[in-house]
Amino acid sequence: MATGTKLFGSSIKRREDPRFITGKGIYTDDVKLPGTTCAAFVRSPHAHARIKSVNVVKTKASPGVVAVFTGRDLANAKVGGLPCGWLLPGIKLPPHPALAVETVRYVGDAVAVVIAESAFAAKDAAEKVEIQYEVLPAVTDGLSAVQQGAPTLHSDAPGNICFTWSIGDKEKTESAFRGATIVKQHLVNQRLIPNAMEPRASLASYEPATGDLTLWVTSQNPHVHRLLMAAFVLGIPEHKMRVIAPDVGGGFGSKIFVYPEEVVVAWASRQLGRPVKWTAERRESYMTDAHGRDHITDAEMGFSKDGKIIGLRVKTHANLGAYLSTFAPLIPTYLYGTLLSGLYAIPAIYCEVVGVFTNTTPVDAYRGAGRPEATYLLERLMDLGARARKTDPAEIRRKNFIPADKFPYQTPVALAYDSGNYGPALDRALSMADYRKLRAEQERLRREGRYLGIGFSTYIEACGPAPSQVAGALGAQAGLWESAHVRVHPTGKVTIYTGSHSHGQGHETTFTQIGADELGIPWEDVELVHGDTAAIPFGMGSYGSRSTAVGGSAIVMSLNKIKEKGRKIAAHLLEAAEGDVVFEDGKYFVRGAPSRAKTFQEVALMAYLAHNMPPGLEPGLEATSFFDPPNFTFPFGTHIAVAEVDPETGQVKIVRYVAVDDVGRVVNPMIVDGMVHGGIAQGVAQALWESGVYDSSGQLLTGTMMDYALPKADQLPFFETDRTETPSPVNPLGVKGAGETGTIASTAAVANAVMDALAPLGVSHIDLPLTPDRIWRAIRDAKKGGRA
Amino acid sequence: MNRAISVTVNGKTHKHEVEPRLLLVHYLRDVLNLTGTHVGCDTSQCGACTIIMNDMAVKCCTVLAVQANGSKILTIEGLAKDGQLHPIQEGFWEEHGLQCGFCTPGMIMQALQMLQRNPKPTDAEIRRGLEGNLCRCTGYHNIVKAIQYAAKKMARK
Amino acid sequence: MKISGEHQLKAPVEKAWKALTDPAILQKITPGCERLQPVGPDEFEATLKLGVALVKGTYKGKLALREKTPPESYRLVMEGSGAPGFVKGEATLRLREQEGGTLVSYEGDAQVGGAIASVGQRLMEGVARMVLSQFFRNLEKELGRKKEGKS
Ligand code: FES
Ligand code: FES
Repeated sequence: MATGTKLFGSSIKRREDPRFITGKGIYTDDVKLPGTTCAAFVRSPHAHARIKSVNVVKTKASPGVVAVFTGRDLANAKVGGLPCGWLLPGIKLPPHPALAVETVRYVGDAVAVVIAESAFAAKDAAEKVEIQYEVLPAVTDGLSAVQQGAPTLHSDAPGNICFTWSIGDKEKTESAFRGATIVKQHLVNQRLIPNAMEPRASLASYEPATGDLTLWVTSQNPHVHRLLMAAFVLGIPEHKMRVIAPDVGGGFGSKIFVYPEEVVVAWASRQLGRPVKWTAERRESYMTDAHGRDHITDAEMGFSKDGKIIGLRVKTHANLGAYLSTFAPLIPTYLYGTLLSGLYAIPAIYCEVVGVFTNTTPVDAYRGAGRPEATYLLERLMDLGARARKTDPAEIRRKNFIPADKFPYQTPVALAYDSGNYGPALDRALSMADYRKLRAEQERLRREGRYLGIGFSTYIEACGPAPSQVAGALGAQAGLWESAHVRVHPTGKVTIYTGSHSHGQGHETTFTQIGADELGIPWEDVELVHGDTAAIPFGMGSYGSRSTAVGGSAIVMSLNKIKEKGRKIAAHLLEAAEGDVVFEDGKYFVRGAPSRAKTFQEVALMAYLAHNMPPGLEPGLEATSFFDPPNFTFPFGTHIAVAEVDPETGQVKIVRYVAVDDVGRVVNPMIVDGMVHGGIAQGVAQALWESGVYDSSGQLLTGTMMDYALPKADQLPFFETDRTETPSPVNPLGVKGAGETGTIASTAAVANAVMDALAPLGVSHIDLPLTPDRIWRAIRDAKKGGRA
Repeated sequence: MNRAISVTVNGKTHKHEVEPRLLLVHYLRDVLNLTGTHVGCDTSQCGACTIIMNDMAVKCCTVLAVQANGSKILTIEGLAKDGQLHPIQEGFWEEHGLQCGFCTPGMIMQALQMLQRNPKPTDAEIRRGLEGNLCRCTGYHNIVKAIQYAAKKMARK
Repeated sequence: MKISGEHQLKAPVEKAWKALTDPAILQKITPGCERLQPVGPDEFEATLKLGVALVKGTYKGKLALREKTPPESYRLVMEGSGAPGFVKGEATLRLREQEGGTLVSYEGDAQVGGAIASVGQRLMEGVARMVLSQFFRNLEKELGRKKEGKS
């Protein structure tokens, strides 16, 4: 344990920042290789069509063109389809070719690629590809797609059903509902488009002389990219492929997956013996980055007379888009259904999910991934329950919290919560918000005809995935541990290699804080290497708020091995028994005799000089570890949003936002706060602005930053944050993960605040996003209804 | 077809023959290899490409390289002087105004103009001033604080 | 996307009708029309170059004049595609005498796909209006020029 040391828990400034604030960061598109060719993709403008012909004669003759490839060319070369990394019983896995061969299934589906000497030449030539389509009827929403007579996307998935999955006890839930007060709600959790500010990009370089292929790619998990691409798509030996993810400009999930473009670029580079580069234009990002959410749900919650939840029943249609993205089946199932107990004691839960194919961009993990959907559902129902029972929303939540003395707690939906104490976070948030005063203020404003609302979201998150055995049993096609290699150099300087990969989280700072603390050496003496499969042992990457909990713990394991070997060397040098030697503040000494000490640096030097080593001990000082935690971690907290709604315009203003999170122990509070801010902003944006919209023919109507409403600085308040700290028992650092909490909690908090504001007007629910137009209509309809 | 241009970037004059349709941002990134200026969109919304051109903050994804002929340009690479960070850069570092760093160069250049025009902005004025710059990571909270930090520091000088 | 409107021409109905059904003139007055080649009775292949933001590009397609009722009305059916996407639609043109000239009214429905669709309908409508207004201005000029030529 790293308790009591100086760097753990301190907000030191980030080590990566100097390069970013001076414009010296190196993102994928910044990597330049001589002789690089540029790729441009020709994409389907139709949501669903048969490809009748592809004519590339004029394209090939276009100036500067190096090569043109179609889906047929890839198929003939035996390039595999894009793999799906998570399987469910009975799941349908229709093929997903990198370039469409016979049928296109969403607007943006790639049909051909043009590779040319410059980006201009490639784009000019791409315009000359002539494709004849036979347009087929399209379907875009998850409910319509399963109706009789809906157009079928894949012949091997009848009715467009990819899977039907359930969790919980159906009978028990049915019987629990008898005699309960039931609140019901139809909920749409709309489609979101990730919008990492750095567009996806890839650059592949093949060296014919050695047969080595190097791929620079915007990836959250370079090893996963390499494994899936080498073994399942390109069929090349894994050791002949190197994947480098340099600085990554945000991911939010969207850079986990293997996409057609990097497959094509890598393959083409091998064909041509030249580097090939592709960088998405933003409109391509909108069409092809995996989208998030998109659930249509019917949910019912039963309450007993005294206000206890006695059952929850959920049926969800999850829109998966046109093909299965890399981890698509996981998101609306194990990351959603298993979270439906929230932090409440609910005796009976049953959840059924239908995964549906539609003529839309594939859907996969987006910040929170399944857990925001579960939280939104639960927290809306809690508020509806509170309203039906005329109870205070804070109190109905508190009443249903799993009591602190009931841990470990087994939920009816598979998860076993290891630790938790939910009351203090709620109390802290209430006092920060000055709840009583807020309610009084709300009353006062209402008398003036102003509508202020207070919204709660008390949430739990399962993150830090792991454990591998469980993941395997649930369908994962990979383990979910993390690796770390620690190399001590002869001078006592240290390099840490981690399989996690930062796309903004500041690992170079946090992980070296851990390293310097454990070894008692200056922070400057520790360096982090990440994002390069040639340098690092196989690793699983960064997603699901797992980097510190899993990756950081692997580092601690390796550091412990280093310290132990160092102790052997030190004991030998001090001519003492190993058991008598202690290590403190970077020094080995015999217990009680700190004046005669060997520094970590001296020991490191001896490990490499090896002139005077304990008998039988190998020279060198490095260690590799793989950490596979016994369980997920469970961050939780209470968020309170205060919003004012203008009933004349439907405009919402967030007045205040209070967030109290418990993410376990915190290595760098400044970094954690930053992630919480960003997470809240994304969740608020889902509540109020963002929505990926298709028209009925499958055209993406929100395909640019003009049409898709990303949050701007003047729409958001400052966030008031605080923490409680319940250390996680499942890893040596006691950390839980903080990358997604904000997003998971905030959508529901804001939605509840708006509904609370509109309560006196008779509005109880509006589907997201709560745009002025929707709010205004709901108010008008409620008035009409009231009159009738 | 190519046209000759001469542009002074970060104090250094460059002469090149460029295609008339080449955007200034691609000229900076691909011809001059100044990759600190980023491209985040294709509709002039994100502001990742903001630079200072003839004392004005502009989104250089909407300027053709030929239009920049004869102009004086400052990019993020030219902001620190003699290894000394500009107070705005310092503010972003001190206040954790960046995470992935992709929006950061544009944010900083935009802030530079904002503080030149309004050395003592309110928080609300800063937020409004960032109207044309998107950040997906920070929720803007610490960006506003970073610019306030810089404003205070610059006022002391 | 629905689009409708009207335009007052100085020329008499007969003359306007002739111009509006003559492929050579149509090609001349349609902004960006590089080619309009007859491939059958009242059927043409067209190449159109349009340049507005993301909509910019070369479109190739077919055009047909159907249900011709000289000199009153016809239905224009078109279909074209290019790098930014595709356009499909039809419009009915009606000609009526008014104030010694001709009132041309049109009413149509167009479907767009690909990038053109994703830039949003509000932009598309602006583009369509711009193209149409230029079309009629050109037509006016063309009719005027003819008149001068004759006299
Ligand atoms: S690149 Fe987005 S505004 Fe210039
Ligand atoms: S720091 Fe990532 S977009 Fe602003």
